[in-house]
Amino acid sequence: MNGVAAPARAKAGAAGLRRGSRGFGARYRIQLWGVGFILPTVLFFAVFKYGPMLWALELSFTSYDMVSAPHFVGLDNYRSLVADPIFRETLLNTLVYIGGSTVLITLVGLGLALAVSTRVPGARHCMTAMFLTNLMPIIAVCLVWRFLLHPHGLMTQLLHPFGVDRIDWLTKSTTAMPAIILVTVWRFAPYFMVVFLAGLLAIPDEYYEAARIDGATALQRFRYVTLPMLAPILFFVVVVAALLCARIFLMPYIITGGGPGNATRVLSMLIYETGFSYLKMGRAAAISAVLFAIMMVFTFLQMRIYMRREEAYLR
Amino acid sequence: MLDSKSRRAKPAVDRKTRRRVLRGLGAAGAGAVVGAASRWSFAQGKAPINLSFWTFDNPQQRPWLAKRIKLYTDQNPNVKVDFQWFPFGDLGKKLSVGFATGTAPEGFVSQDWFMPVWLDKGLIAPMDVSRLGYSSMAAFTSDFAPAFVNGATKDGKAYGYPLWFYGYLNYLNTKDFKQVGLDPVKDAPKTWEQLGEVAKRLTVKDGGKFTRQGFKFAMHAPAWTMIQFNPILIGAGGSWFDASGKCTVNNAAGVKAMTVRASIARQYGAEDPADTIATPPLPQLDWFKERASMFFCHPIPPTLIQAQNPNMASVPYYSEVQYPGFQPGKGFSSTYGFNLVISAQASKDKQEVLHDMYRFVMSDPVDCWKDTAPFTMARKSGWVDNPAVKAFPHMEEFIIARDEGVFLPRTLVYNELADAMHRAVQKIMLNRADIKASLDEAAAEVDRATAAYKKG
Repeated sequence: MNGVAAPARAKAGAAGLRRGSRGFGARYRIQLWGVGFILPTVLFFAVFKYGPMLWALELSFTSYDMVSAPHFVGLDNYRSLVADPIFRETLLNTLVYIGGSTVLITLVGLGLALAVSTRVPGARHCMTAMFLTNLMPIIAVCLVWRFLLHPHGLMTQLLHPFGVDRIDWLTKSTTAMPAIILVTVWRFAPYFMVVFLAGLLAIPDEYYEAARIDGATALQRFRYVTLPMLAPILFFVVVVAALLCARIFLMPYIITGGGPGNATRVLSMLIYETGFSYLKMGRAAAISAVLFAIMMVFTFLQMRIYMRREEAYLR
Repeated sequence: MLDSKSRRAKPAVDRKTRRRVLRGLGAAGAGAVVGAASRWSFAQGKAPINLSFWTFDNPQQRPWLAKRIKLYTDQNPNVKVDFQWFPFGDLGKKLSVGFATGTAPEGFVSQDWFMPVWLDKGLIAPMDVSRLGYSSMAAFTSDFAPAFVNGATKDGKAYGYPLWFYGYLNYLNTKDFKQVGLDPVKDAPKTWEQLGEVAKRLTVKDGGKFTRQGFKFAMHAPAWTMIQFNPILIGAGGSWFDASGKCTVNNAAGVKAMTVRASIARQYGAEDPADTIATPPLPQLDWFKERASMFFCHPIPPTLIQAQNPNMASVPYYSEVQYPGFQPGKGFSSTYGFNLVISAQASKDKQEVLHDMYRFVMSDPVDCWKDTAPFTMARKSGWVDNPAVKAFPHMEEFIIARDEGVFLPRTLVYNELADAMHRAVQKIMLNRADIKASLDEAAAEVDRATAAYKKG
């Protein structure tokens, strides 16, 4: 019996091997198809995103006027940036802008989402109206705000009953940057409101009910239920808003032109001016590398903070 | 009824026989075919040339250039021109990017202040003045204002064919003058002090708000900051650079000039630097809308005034006078102009065609004047004595402004200089920063840019 069973097992094993090799081949073919499908995207990113990024990094070590061939200058561009007061001032402006805008976008976005989620009659219509700010062309938004923030414009008129005669929103170095931040928040907070709203709606009602039974106040429910449950969304909003603000260009460019003096000039404007107006593409690339480093550091710090919170929460 | 004899007796020329009609039709047909064939062979005889040509946008100047180029291509069917235009302030940047990416046009209009950069980098080709219709280089240079043509020549060769060239003027609202009891002719300010005093009288305020500013300096763009400050600096005895190339705008003359620049707001209270409705396309908007009584501006076409303020244009209640000076009658303005140039990257045959095209474009200066008045041309010959030109109101003022004005600095770091000065003026005028300290910062910035350019 055993003598009969052994060859049969061997035969079955060989068939299994053949099936296995056919299965392996099929899997391999499927994998090839997968690679084929994602290849255009990978190529697109390689050619149009990472390629230019690497080239820009290489350019930052050269002197390049866009006419003659670039020549290697080592760290000269970075050294000259450190010594340049305009760059230092612009870097500070950028950090102030990113910080101010990100915090306010997050707070206002969350506040609006909480207000809308209370299901007050008309809240949904308000949400639609607020979201419309994102659909307007950015150029039109900037031009309208230029008029609204004119020394005798609507914003000043609104404050007139409170004894405010005139505010030079865009022409005083103390008010110009807050004014740009205000416009940024007006523009982007409603967008992030929608993101927060999605997060709020995903929190199960049972948690709130349990908290209520335990006697938690509204503030406590927000602190101990809403905020922890919204942490991933909060992380997403802060990172995306900060990255968005780091790349801002049109708002300061159109509304104040970077002025008065250098008060609202941000790094992306300086990159544009240095590259295309002064024909110093190597130096512009060095500024881009600095901006990229800032964004990376910021994102990394945010991730660290988020991971620690997650770990603490799981413990 | 005529018999056969009498029919034959009729002179042959009067007789319309079927054969003659057919012969005539045949001849006409053959003529048409030959004519078409000769045109075809003419067009085919020249190789097709495709050119690209870029210029800046302006409601009068750009359409005139487009018209002349179209006329040229109509007469030369083998030549096709891709005519493109860009906002005034963007043209230089577009050209830089074009040269960098190998997409620069074969021909373009260059603003005067960009010529040093194109020349330094060898981006524009020398021109054959004989092909432009001049017997010699001397004949070419003598047909233009020496200072202007100097900016377009290098080592005895011409690199630009001067097109428009004009000076700035002080535009007055004569109705406002009369309203406050001033005579727009006699009381037109001739010194900077007079400008302040007259502006003060013209100013109308409602509490802290200006209903009408007596005078308005442009604050909206670095280019205008340069144009308006340049004659004050030169008039004060200053200069932008010393012989070694160091920026000297922060010396005593520079501080004096900037003090004058700031005095209209600070000393006379006749303008509000923060209050303006001017935009880059329309820097004169405050003056057009009668929110400012005086404004320094390039020649303004009457059609533009008509479009913005029909009343002002139809009465008319405006006039153009020369700039004030540090001494009466010694005022002068900024001048600048434009050159037709040829890219050094253009092939030889394209360069030749561009020479012919430029010669054709500039062959009718009176037509240019009629379409673009009062923008004066750089050339001296062929238009100033024309009755249509002479009849233009205040023509002599435009010519004086052109001939006596001072050029914008010709430097390799013009954009850096303009941006640094614009920042300084904003700090001084909007934030009441110290004049000397602000100019020191600007000069240091320009010196850094110069050093970086020299380093390469």
